[in-house]
Formats: sequence, C-alpha cells, structure tokens
Amino acid sequence: MKRRKRKFDEPRSFLKGIPIFVWLIILVIVPLIFTFTMSFYSSAGLVIEKSFTLKNYRLFITDPIYSRILFKSLWLSLAVAILSIGMAYPLAYMVSFKMVRGRNLLFMMCIIPLWVSYLVRIIAWRSILGNRGVINTILMGIGLIKEPLQIFLYNRFAVAITLTYICIPFVFIPVYTALEKIPRNILHAASDLGANEFHTFLNVVLPLSMPGLITGFIFSFIIALGDYIIPLQLGGTQGIMFGNLIWSQFGFAFNWPFGAALGFVLFVISVTILGVTAKFGSTEGGFFE
Amino acid sequence: MRSSVSSVSLERKGTLLKLYSLLIFLFLYLPLLVVIVFSFSPTKTIVGMSGVTTRWYKDLIHDRALLKALLHSFEVGVSAVFIALLFGTSGAFFITKVRFPGKGLLRALVMLPFVLPGIIMGLTLLIFVRNLNIPLSMITILMGHVSFTTPIVMFQVSARLQRMGPNFQLAAQDLGATPFKTFWYVTLPMIRTALIGAALLAFTVSFDEIVISYFLTGTWMTLPVYLYGMLRFGLSPKVYAVSGFILVFSLFLILLMTKYIGRSGEELALRR
Repeated sequence: MKRRKRKFDEPRSFLKGIPIFVWLIILVIVPLIFTFTMSFYSSAGLVIEKSFTLKNYRLFITDPIYSRILFKSLWLSLAVAILSIGMAYPLAYMVSFKMVRGRNLLFMMCIIPLWVSYLVRIIAWRSILGNRGVINTILMGIGLIKEPLQIFLYNRFAVAITLTYICIPFVFIPVYTALEKIPRNILHAASDLGANEFHTFLNVVLPLSMPGLITGFIFSFIIALGDYIIPLQLGGTQGIMFGNLIWSQFGFAFNWPFGAALGFVLFVISVTILGVTAKFGSTEGGFFE
Repeated sequence: MRSSVSSVSLERKGTLLKLYSLLIFLFLYLPLLVVIVFSFSPTKTIVGMSGVTTRWYKDLIHDRALLKALLHSFEVGVSAVFIALLFGTSGAFFITKVRFPGKGLLRALVMLPFVLPGIIMGLTLLIFVRNLNIPLSMITILMGHVSFTTPIVMFQVSARLQRMGPNFQLAAQDLGATPFKTFWYVTLPMIRTALIGAALLAFTVSFDEIVISYFLTGTWMTLPVYLYGMLRFGLSPKVYAVSGFILVFSLFLILLMTKYIGRSGEELALRR
C-alpha cells in the first residue's frame, strides 16, 4: 500500500462514510433545522401557522416568567454541579490514591448507578422523600413528628438532591480518569520536597486533575439544566425547571413553535458551554474517548 | 496495572476521607435498596413490614400490557443495537482509517446526541417526524434510540481501532489478502469484543431510556414509558416490583458488559 501525504484519501474509501453521514443528516442535522425553522412559526389553537415571525423569541425575552425560570434553573444546575463535585471528587480521590486492594471493585461500584435505570432511581427518591416515604416513616417511628411532613417532596430541594444523585457518576468518571493519569513519582517528589498531603493536593493533584473536574462539572451542569422528568416527578410547582417549561409546550400547552424556540435557546446554551469549555476540559478518558 | 506503585499512599491513611466516601456509597446505594425492600413488602410501608412477599412479582406475570411493553423494549433495543452496529462500525472505520479534513467537527457532531440534554433530541425528532407525517409508533421510538446507540458503538469501536493501529491490516495485505479477507480474518476478530461490549452497552442504555422516548411515544410503549404511566396513580407495590425487575435486569446486563469492555476504567467510561 502506497502511503501518500495527502489531505484526502481516494474517493472510494469515502463509501465507508456514507452510513454515518446518512445517520447524522437524518437524525441530528435535519431535525435541528426543522426545529429552528419551527421556532419562527406561530401557533393558533391546534394549527401551526407557517409564516415567519419573531413572536416566540420576543415572548421569551419580554415575559419575565420565562427568563426567571431559566435563571432559576441555571442556579439550580450550578448548585447540582457543585454538590456532585463535592461528593464525587473525594470519592474518586479515595479510590485512586487510598485504595491498594479492591480498586477495580470500588470503581465499578461508583459507576454502576450510572446504568441502573434512570426512572427507577427517580422512583427510589420519590419513595424516600414522599408523604409515606422512608424519611417520614423513620421520623415518625422515633417519635420526632406525629404527622408526615410534606416538606421533602415537590420542591427544589427534592429536584436538586435527585439530580445530584444522577450526576455523581458523571463527575466521578472524568475526575477518576484524570487522577489515575497523574504519575505517582510526582507525588513522591512533592513529599520529598517537604509538602504534606494537603499541600500536595492543592499544588499538584488539583491542578493536574482540573481537566477532568471541568468535564465533570460541565456534564452535571448540562444534565441538570436539560432534565424535565425529575422536576415533573419531584418538583411540584415550586420546582419547575426550564426543561419542564419546554416539555409543557409539547404537552398540555400545545404550543410547538414556542417549545421549539425554547428548545433552541437550550441548544444554544448547551453548545456554547460545551464549546467554550472543550478547550479546558479533557476530551479523553471522559465520555467520548 | 501498577500494583507496586499504587502502594505509594500518601502518608496518612485518610480515615476521614474513607468515612466520607462510605457515606457517599450509602447515598448511592440506599435508594436502590429501598426499592428492592419495598418490592417485597406485603404492606406499603417499611415500618411494620411483616415478612416478605413475592406476590407483587407474581402479579406482574398476569399483566398483559406490562408484558407487551417489556417485549416492545426488547424489540426496540435489539433493533436499535443492530442498526447502530451497521452505522457505528462503518463510521468508526471511516473516522479512523480515512484521511479527510474536519475530523474534529464530524466527531463533535456525532457526539451531539449524547452530550446534548435528551430533551433536545426528543423535541427535535418529534418535530422532524411530524413534519414528515410519520405517526408516533415503534418507528419513531426506534429513531430516537438509534440516535444515541450509534455514537456508543462508533466511539467504542473507533477507540479499539485506534489502539490496534494499522499494522495488522497492512501485514495481511502484504501477504496478499483481499480487503474483504483482511476484514473478515484480521480486523473483525480483533474488534469482536469491542462490538459485543458496545452492543451490550447500547442495549442497556436503550432498555432504560425514557427522556427521548417520552417525546416519541404514542400508544406503542416501551417498559420505562409504561412504568412512567403507572406513576400517575402513585407508588404502588406493582411499581416497586417492576422497578425491582428492571434493577436486577440492568445489573445483570452491566455485569455481562464488564466481561467485554476492558478491565480498565477508561474504557468503561466511554459512555454514560
């Protein structure tokens, strides 16, 4: 086989690329274009009027309800991302640095929840926080309260805790991968030079694991921002998020063009965050290889 | 594996850290345990749970709609995996073996369905099928699932191809093998475990998927969508039994998967 330094291979080898391009065009690009187009239509009752209008975007910008929900969701997502890091980083640090035996098993145990049904995990949290749930049952059992408390479910707290639960493995994986890549002799060097564990962590480990940390942060942030099932199931009216606002446009509100516009806003936000942080985050060893 | 180097543990044993990690493990696993416990409880609460019953599980067998949904999930999962194997594997060969500019862009675009929130894939595909007047059916759900199973397969396989390098294929060609023979006798056996692992991973994700499916479902439901519908009537023992079944089945798939996707964490992490 002759190896030529060329930008393009011979045309015949591009046949291999046809299926993936077909997939990309049909399932990703054209649907995005259709959505973008629909966001400029308007809805009159059950009919969609196909004439160009900026009405949807204007409504989104001028009516404070929508931007308020968006900002509330951004804050909540930030909280979820920080909480997830607060739980997943120490866990990854422990498994990577403190375990000699059983590391593989512990690693598996940290990421198994990732693949256990998302819906089942939501059901689990409903049954913990609910009216006749685990927390209320325990509190009543030890005699702290007489009547079940309704403060656990149907609020932002319930949404945040469940989202954090979902996000932990998404932070754990890139952080753990980054920690595993740190050459251990660097740590030796640090301790030989007199740094204690805390200083080694702060000056060596943390900076070197930053790409993994950023990737985990972004993932949990975007997952939290785009979720709609969890706020529907556990959020009540107080816990409404941007995700269920979008969902409701395709459900009972039946305003697809407005839903398309809101969806496009979410798309732009997500792509911007991903694009900006792609430079700082690690793309390897994370989710994409 | 570095067994000797990892004993480098940083002076202190980190008891506090281990304690904190233990708490997080409890946080991760207690909720799952709650579901299992509830699914065997004769009453609806855990306090006063007298004995264990398998009644709710037995009831499931008589629920025809539920069994149908389970069957649908298998149909969608298996079809989505097969289509993804075709699209994803050819895509993997394309992106690793063919030289062309803009590879990064193609990678990023293929990645989109799983770095974007599921709601975006759901609503764009809903708008797409409506524009084409495709009624909500198995086909629409399948489209939703192929959108994320394809990148799973593609990235698993391309990772394997990259690690393999081109030398084996070049050697086969030097020895006079046709491209087809090279693929069949050299490349395919080498990527076999990656294909099986990717297929299992894709099936696991498909089996549990609801965020995208919920947009694309009409009356033809998969198991998670059916379970979601059951939630409208509250958390019944039956809900817990279905959850328990899904939980155990997922664990089974995960354990099976770990046999094929490398022992190291990195490879496992290729997809959520």
